[in-house]
Amino acid sequence: MSVYVIEPQTNQKHKADVLIVDSNDYKIITAKQFFFQWKKERAPAITYKLVILNEQLLGVISLIRYDSEYRIEIKLLAVSTDNKGKSKKYDRVAGCLIAFAASEALTLYGELGCVSLIPKTELKQHYIRQYGMIDAGWQLYLEGRQLLQLLKAYL
Amino acid sequence: MSVIKVNELFEQNTPAELAEAYVFPVKLTKKQKEEAVAQLSEARAKLRKEITQEEVLSLKLMRFKLLLEKYIKSTEFKIDYSFGYFLSIYIDTIGKKRTEFADEIDIHETLLSQLINNKREPNESLMIRLEIHSNGTIPALDWLKLVEKKKENYISTDKEIRKVERQFVKNHLAVSF
Repeated sequence: MSVYVIEPQTNQKHKADVLIVDSNDYKIITAKQFFFQWKKERAPAITYKLVILNEQLLGVISLIRYDSEYRIEIKLLAVSTDNKGKSKKYDRVAGCLIAFAASEALTLYGELGCVSLIPKTELKQHYIRQYGMIDAGWQLYLEGRQLLQLLKAYL
Repeated sequence: MSVIKVNELFEQNTPAELAEAYVFPVKLTKKQKEEAVAQLSEARAKLRKEITQEEVLSLKLMRFKLLLEKYIKSTEFKIDYSFGYFLSIYIDTIGKKRTEFADEIDIHETLLSQLINNKREPNESLMIRLEIHSNGTIPALDWLKLVEKKKENYISTDKEIRKVERQFVKNHLAVSF
């Protein structure tokens, strides 16, 4: 799935792709750059990377499929240190990765497809505001209209 | 990853900035996990009751668009994933009968059947009509890329056509790379 990120300084759009992570990527996907110990992620979680044309790696997400529930859970997500906070190099990185999870849920499960995550309490309202997620108590999720809106915003 | 490091992140960044950068692992107790499953199931069931037919159609169409784009972009060629195959999926996706659809894009039902069964190749005007029919959601260019993908595979792999055309080439270069 092709998405795009924006360079805030120039407002320039850059086409980006989400690809499955391979073993060589772990030289770059370090805890220093991407906060978590991504190398320790194991099945059933599958890890994907967001890259732009020059193969610069901007973000990583790990997803778990729950086929019987038509649902994909976002287990972990991190943007690179350059892409967080006020001085970020590219904007929309996390949104593009969440939109990828939404596109996987929709292609796999059709209109019943759902993406969920368990938020840290402090961040819950921000996920709702930023990505249109729906509050389901312990979890937040995207399905139906909200899932479609996120896809339209990021594709 | 240590707890201190997470705390440092929370000290250095606003919650909004963190939500735009991370999804952290959250450990739930067994009881909390059970609650989480029940809550999500209930919320989703409620949401499904409220979904409109128009939203269902939009979701189906988006799914079709994503599947078509994924195939066009992949390096893999699948013989079954023809123009006709995707056209029939498009008609099913929008819930139309073939006669009704043929009428809507002003082609004869026989031609539609030939296209679906890969007995005829689509022309540019048909691809444009499909773009207009989908209200711009499925661009004509995507249909064209689908047709070209088949041609690319044929021209790069077919041995028979090389055998046939070889007899017409009276001379060829002595060097090759």
